[in-house]
Amino acid sequence: MSAPFTGTGHLLRLILRRDRVRLPLWVAGLGGVIAASAYAVPEAYGTPEKIAGYEKTVGDSAVSFLMSGRQAALDTIGGITANEIGQVATLGICLMVLFLVVRHTRAEEESGRAEMLRSTVLGRHAATLSATLYAVAAAVLIGAITTAAMIGADLEVTGSLAYGASLTLLGVTFAGVSVAAAQLSTSARGALAIGGTAIALAYLVRGFGAINDNWLVWLSPFGWAQEIDAFGAERWWTLGLLAAATVVAFAVAAYLAEHRDFAGGLLQERPGSPRATRVLGTSPGLAFCLQRGTLIGWTAGLFILAVIYGAVVPMIPELLESNPDIGKTLGIEGGDLEAAAINSFLSYSYVFLAMLTGAFAVASVLRLRSEEEAGRAEALLATGLSRVGWVVGSLAVTVVGTLVILVLNGIGIALGYSFGMSEWDRVGEIVVDQLSFAPGVLVLVGFAMALTGLLPRWTMLAWALVAVVFLQSLLGDTLKFPSWVDGISPLWHLPRVPSESFEVTPGLVLLVISAALAAAGVLGVRRRDIG
Amino acid sequence: MTSAISLSELVKTFGAVRALDGLDLEVATGEVHGFLGPNGAGKSTTMRVLLGLLHADSGQARMLGGDPWREAAELHRRIAYVPGDVNLWPNLTGGEVVDLLGRMRGGLDEAKRADLLDRFELDPSKKARTYSKGNRQKLALVAAFASDAELLLLDEPTSGLDPLMEAEFQRCVVEAKTSEGVTVLLSSHILAEVEALCDRVSIIRNGVNVQSGTLSELRHLTRTTVIAETGARADRIADVPGVHSPEFTDAGDQHRVTFDVDSDHLDEAVKVLSDHGIQSLTAHPPTLEELFLRQYGEEVPA
Repeated sequence: MSAPFTGTGHLLRLILRRDRVRLPLWVAGLGGVIAASAYAVPEAYGTPEKIAGYEKTVGDSAVSFLMSGRQAALDTIGGITANEIGQVATLGICLMVLFLVVRHTRAEEESGRAEMLRSTVLGRHAATLSATLYAVAAAVLIGAITTAAMIGADLEVTGSLAYGASLTLLGVTFAGVSVAAAQLSTSARGALAIGGTAIALAYLVRGFGAINDNWLVWLSPFGWAQEIDAFGAERWWTLGLLAAATVVAFAVAAYLAEHRDFAGGLLQERPGSPRATRVLGTSPGLAFCLQRGTLIGWTAGLFILAVIYGAVVPMIPELLESNPDIGKTLGIEGGDLEAAAINSFLSYSYVFLAMLTGAFAVASVLRLRSEEEAGRAEALLATGLSRVGWVVGSLAVTVVGTLVILVLNGIGIALGYSFGMSEWDRVGEIVVDQLSFAPGVLVLVGFAMALTGLLPRWTMLAWALVAVVFLQSLLGDTLKFPSWVDGISPLWHLPRVPSESFEVTPGLVLLVISAALAAAGVLGVRRRDIG
Repeated sequence: MTSAISLSELVKTFGAVRALDGLDLEVATGEVHGFLGPNGAGKSTTMRVLLGLLHADSGQARMLGGDPWREAAELHRRIAYVPGDVNLWPNLTGGEVVDLLGRMRGGLDEAKRADLLDRFELDPSKKARTYSKGNRQKLALVAAFASDAELLLLDEPTSGLDPLMEAEFQRCVVEAKTSEGVTVLLSSHILAEVEALCDRVSIIRNGVNVQSGTLSELRHLTRTTVIAETGARADRIADVPGVHSPEFTDAGDQHRVTFDVDSDHLDEAVKVLSDHGIQSLTAHPPTLEELFLRQYGEEVPA
C-alpha cells in the first residue's frame, strides 16, 4: 500500500473494535426496519383493488412526492414497496454514513486522539480512507439487506437488485460528501451540520422536482437513485451519475485534505472578545452562549424547511385536478376534497417538523452530559453554581429554544401557504396548530433529562426514543405496529390537527409526564456523582 | 489552630475499586499543605469529594466548617479550584472563561485579574481551543488567584508550565498565603515546588494517608544514609537494630561501610563505628527524592 494510506488496515480494525455495538445497531436497526416494511407491504396491499387504490391516492399526493419522490411502477407491488420504504431507507442510509464518517474522522481529530495515532506509522490519509471503507461497507450491508428482503418478500428480482444498488450508491455518494464536510469544519458538530444540510438540500430538491414533475430531480443524488426506475424501466445508467458524483466528492475531499493542517479547517480562528458579556455569567446565559450556533442553525434550517412545506400547499389543487378519480376513491368531492387534502398535508408537516424539533431538543438536553464528560461541568460546579442551577439553566434554554423553533415552524408554514394562496386568514391557526405538538416534543426533553440524571451512561437511549418517534411517524401506517408500540411515541397521542379536531387532555397529560421526568432527572443530578 | 479541611475515615469506592480506603486528612487554616502520592493513590478523588462532585460512601468530611456535599454551592463561593487537566469551552475566549468562572463564584477582583493576565503572559482574546496545555493551565490559575477565595484546591496545577511560569505560580501562592492568609491544598509531583511552598505535607497511598507532618518531621521519621571508613572492618554494624543493607568494601587497610539507619538508632550505630576507629564519616538525611520514593513504596538503591 502506498505511503499516504499506510496503516489503513490497523485503523479499520480499531474502528470495528470501537463500533462493535454501534455498527450492528445501525445495520440491524435500519436494515431491520427496511426489511420489516418490505415484508409488510405485500400483505397490506396484496389485492388488485388495493394496488389500484394506492396508485390513485398516493400517486398524486403532494406529501408522498415530497417524501418519496415519483417512484416508478406504482401499479405493481414492487413499486409500492419501494415507495413506502423510500423515505426512511434513503434518509436513513445517508444519515448513517454521515454519522459514521464524522465519528471516525473529524471527531477523532477534534478530541486529540487522532494526534497520538498519527505519531505512529500511519499515512496522512489512512484515517480518511479507513472511515470511508467502513462507511461504504455499512452502506453495502444495508443495500444487500434491502435487496435480500425484497427478493424474500417475493418481489421481482431485477427490480430488487436495482433498488438495492441505487440505495447503496446513494449512501456511498453521501459518504463522499461527509468526508468532504469533515475537512471543512474544525468541529465534529460543524461537520455534521454541513453534511446534514447537504442531505436536506438534496432531499428537498428531489421532492420539489417530483411535485412539479420537472428537471429539478436531475439535480439531486436522491433523484438519480430514484430515476433508476426500479421495478419499472430499470435504467441502470443512472448508477453512473451516482458513481461520478462519488468520485467528485472524494476528489474535493482529497484536495481539501491536502491543503489543510492536522486539526485545522478552512477557516482561521479569529480573536474574540477579551471580556465576557453580561449574559455570560449566569447558568442560562452560559448555556445560551454555548448553544448559540446550534440554536441558530436548527432554527434557520427548520424555518426554511417550514416555508418550503408551506409553499407546497398551493400546488395541491393542481395535483387534484390532474386526477379527478381520487375523490371517488376517498369518497370526498369538490371543495371538501381540496380542503381535506390540504389539511392532511398540514397535519403531516406539523408532525414532521415537530419530530425534527424533537431531535434538536434531545441534542440540546444532552449537552449537559457532554459538558460533564468533557470535564467542564467540574469547573463550573466548583464555583458558586449549584447543580440544580446548572441543570435548570440549561433546560430553560432547551425549552425556550424548542418553543421558539415550533412557533417559527408554524410561521414558516403559514408564510409559504399564505403567499401561495394569497390568503392570510389561517396564519394564527397554523401557528397554534404547530404549537399543539409541543407537549410531545417536551416529553422527549423530559426523557433525555431523566436519563441524564438517573442513568447517565445510557443517555444514548434518548436517541432511541427519537428513532421510535421517527419510525412511528414515517412508517407507522405501513408497519402497522400494535398500539402499545405506537404509544411509545409521544407525538402519536396528540390529535392530528387540522385533520382531526383538537383535544386538550392528551397534551396536558404529556405535559405532566414531561415535567415529572424532568424533575426526576434534576433530582438525579443532585444525588449522583459528577464526572 | 482551626482546620480548613478535616477528613476522617473517608471511603469512596468505584465498583470493586476502593479509591479512598479510610482516608484521614487535616489541613489547618492558613497553611499550605502538600498532598503527595503516586499516580492513582486517590488524590484527585479526595479533591472531588471536597468539591462535592463525588459522594463519599462513608466517613466524615468537613471543609471551611461545612459539609462539602450538602452545602456545595455555598462553600464554593469561598474556594477556588484548579484541576490538573483543564478543559475549556473551545468557542469561548480566555478572557470570557476567566470572567465566567469569576462571576459564577460571586465576583472577581478586577485589578488582580488584569495583573495576573499580565504576569502569566496570557492573551485573553484568543479562543480557548487555540490554547496549549500550559496556557489552559495558566488560565485556570488566573481565574483561581483572581478570586477572593479563602481556600485554594490545587490539583497538580503546574503540569505543563514552563520554569518561568512555575516561579510565577510559586510567587502567587506565597502572596496569597502571606498577605491574605489563604489556605492551600496543593497536590503535586514537583518536589522542589512542594519543598519551597508547603508548611506540611501528607503522603497517601492506595487511598490511605501514610504520613503527615512537616518536611523535617518526615525526614526525622526516616533513615539516614551513613558512609564511614574505619581502621578495622566494622562487621558488627550489621547486628545493630535499625541498620539496613550494610555494604562493605575493603581496599588494603581501608575498610569502608555504607548503610542506612533509622534515625532513632543513629547514636548506637555511630558508637559501634567508633569502636572500630573512625577515619572518616559522612551522614546525610534522605533527600526529598529518597524520602518520597521510600514512601511511595520503592526501595532506593543504596
